[in-house]
This record gives sequence, structure tokens and C-alpha cells, in this order.
Amino acid sequence: MAANPMHQFQVYKIGPEIKLGDIDLSFTNASLFMLLSALSICLFLYFGSKQKNIIPGRLQLIAELFYNFIAKMISDTAGSKAKPYFPFIFTLFMFVLLCNMIGMLPYSFTVTSHIIVTLVMALFIFIAVTIIGFIKHGFKYLSIFVPKGVPVVLLPLITIIEIISYLSRPVSLSVRLFANMMAGHTMLKVFGSFVISLGLLGGWLPLSFSVALTGLEILVAFLQAYVFAILTCIYLNDALNLHH
Amino acid sequence: MRLKVPLVIFILCFETFLFAAEAGMPQLDPKYWFSQTFWLVLIFLILYLSLSKFFIPKIKDNLDDREKKIKENLDEAKEFSELAEKKRLEYENEISNTKKEVIKIITESKRQIDKNINQKKDNFEKELEKEVNKAEKEIIDLKKNSSSSINLIAEEISAKVIENLTGEKLNNSSIKASVEEVSKNKMEKYL
Repeated sequence: MAANPMHQFQVYKIGPEIKLGDIDLSFTNASLFMLLSALSICLFLYFGSKQKNIIPGRLQLIAELFYNFIAKMISDTAGSKAKPYFPFIFTLFMFVLLCNMIGMLPYSFTVTSHIIVTLVMALFIFIAVTIIGFIKHGFKYLSIFVPKGVPVVLLPLITIIEIISYLSRPVSLSVRLFANMMAGHTMLKVFGSFVISLGLLGGWLPLSFSVALTGLEILVAFLQAYVFAILTCIYLNDALNLHH
Repeated sequence: MRLKVPLVIFILCFETFLFAAEAGMPQLDPKYWFSQTFWLVLIFLILYLSLSKFFIPKIKDNLDDREKKIKENLDEAKEFSELAEKKRLEYENEISNTKKEVIKIITESKRQIDKNINQKKDNFEKELEKEVNKAEKEIIDLKKNSSSSINLIAEEISAKVIENLTGEKLNNSSIKASVEEVSKNKMEKYL
């Protein structure tokens, strides 16, 4: 069972079964790791903002670094109009980052390696951005599908392509994160099982691969959280500043 | 007929989905999808609320405080440096003023001393001249006096010598006249 590289993605329930009618809402290991991520974020930010030092300590420095990083990202991509959405994007980035990072710990569970989780987040972002766009611009928001400066002959084709690309946003957003996390963890698991099966003599090569992959995966964990957040900003920018 | 094709494709896709879940992708097993969605929404919502209401304002306050304090310190430093510059200018001004005053005092006292010395020199010279004049006058007087007294002595001596040699007295006026004649001619030779 342990040799199966997909076994790490298995969801199982912890504690009693919670049912709402026919729907199973039991607390699972996925929920546990979501909770752990959220708690780690709260603890980190709590200790990062507890002391008000002029010269920050380590945790305070990192917390402020994250804050400035996200703030700069939002102002760079979506401008000053996106300021009210800063808490949401900050929460999103921290949550995805911590889920990815905690998933890097051995024997842990990666929340973001489940398509349903990323899809729910991406759909929420997609629907929210669309609603924001319609609230800010009314039906003029539909002009996002009609780019300026396109020859009239090509316009129907371009519009169809634009609509498809707009509608595929939640899919691409969710699948990108999910596939990255799943592929990385599967690969780690495969190389890890090679180490065991090849033993002392031949296990060194996959072990070194495993070490290198771990570094890469930590990079990917950060990068995917960043990409998730920055794409959210870009979608938000489309909705807030109708530039077409 | 037209509707059937997408339906078949959909069913096939769904079947492959389920098949994939059975084959080893637990992500595609819908058993816990509702549970994961429910917990994700719940936990994310709580996290969002606590971050936006509590942690983010705190960090923002921290950052703003720091910026404010740094700005204050910078302003204060600028003020102090301006003050220092002002003090330095004042100090230099004072030094140059003092230097000017010193030079003035030195030249003034030099002039005073020069004046004093000149005056004293003049006075001394005048006194010296007076002294010299007086001495010269005395010498001249003495010369005059001595010539007249020499004449008298010469008259008396001549009268006595004549009396002793001849035994007769000559009258004084003729002796006096001859002595005066001699003294007039020869006085300059001796004195």
C-alpha cells in the first residue's frame, strides 16, 4: 500500500461521521490540514505582529515582508482600486502557500493537491470577479470580450476565443495548482520508493534526486501560491479597470 | 440524434473519471468532495475574517508606525543639522569679528606707542637743544667775561710792571688803551 504513490492523496475521515441529510460533511484529514494551515498562519501573524519594534525581529520581519510583497503585487498588477481586496488576496496567498508548504512535510497531506479544493477557490474567484466587473461597469463589462483594434472580419472569431478563454479561467487556475502539487508529490514519492527498493547499493542516485526534487518542490510550492495570487490580481484588474 | 453525441461524450468522460478514481487518483473520488468544500469554505472564511479584522490592521499599524517614526527622526535630524550649521556660522562670524577687533586693537596701540615715542623723542631733542644752546651761550659769555677780565688783569700787570721798571706811574687810560689794542689784535689768536 505504501508503495502506491497515489496513496498519499487518500482522504479519510477523522472522528465521527457528520451528515447533513444525505451529504457527508465528516471531518477528514484534508480538513485537518486546512485547519493546521490556517492555525499556522494565525500563529505566525500573531507572533509576527505582537511586538511593535522599530527594528523588527525575525518573525515580524517575515510577516511584514509578506505584507509588503502582496501589497506591492496588488498595486503593480491591479492598481490602487484593488486596495479593498487586499485582505482577501493576502489570505488566499497565505493559505495556498501554507497548504503547499505543510504538504512538503513527510507523512503530511497536501490540501491543494485536490482538484475540488482548488476548483472551489478558482470558481469563487471567477464568480466574484465577474460579479465585481458587472457591478463596476454594468453591461459594458461585456466589452472585455471585444478587444479594440481588431479587424472587423476577425471580430467574431476573436470574440469567441475571448469568451472561451474567459470561461476557462477557473479551470486553468485550479488545474495549474492541483496538477503542479500532485505531480510534484507523486514524483517525490516515486523517487522515495526507488531509494527503498534499490537499497544501500543503488539507492543513492534516487536519493540525490529526491533531495533535489524537494528543493524544487519547495520552490514550486511558493511559486504556485504566487501564481495563484497574481492571476487573481490580474483577473481583478480586468474587472476593475476595463481597458479594452 | 444531435443531443445524443454530447451526452455520450459526457457519460464517457464521467466514466473515465470514476475509473481514474478507482485506478488510483483519490482526487477524482467524489465521496468527500462536499466535505472538503464545506471545510474549505468554513476554514477559509474564518481565516479571512480573522486576518482582515485583526492581523492585517495590526501589521499595517506596525508598518505605519515605523514609517512615521523614521520620518520624525529624519525630520529631527534635519532640524538638528540645520541648527548645528547655524551655530557653526555664528561661531565663525564671532571668530572673524574677534580677529578684526584684535587687529584694530593692535594697530591702535601701535599707533599710540609710536605717537608716544615720537613725542618723547621730540621733547628730548628740544630739551637737548635748549641745553646745548644754554651751554654755548655760557661758553660765549665765559669767553666774553674772560676776555674782559684778562684785559683787566693785563692792565694791572702792565701797570705794575711799568711801575716797577720805571718807577713812575702811567695813567690808567693809556695802559688800558694799549692793552685793548693788543687784545683786539691777539685775542683771537689765543682764544
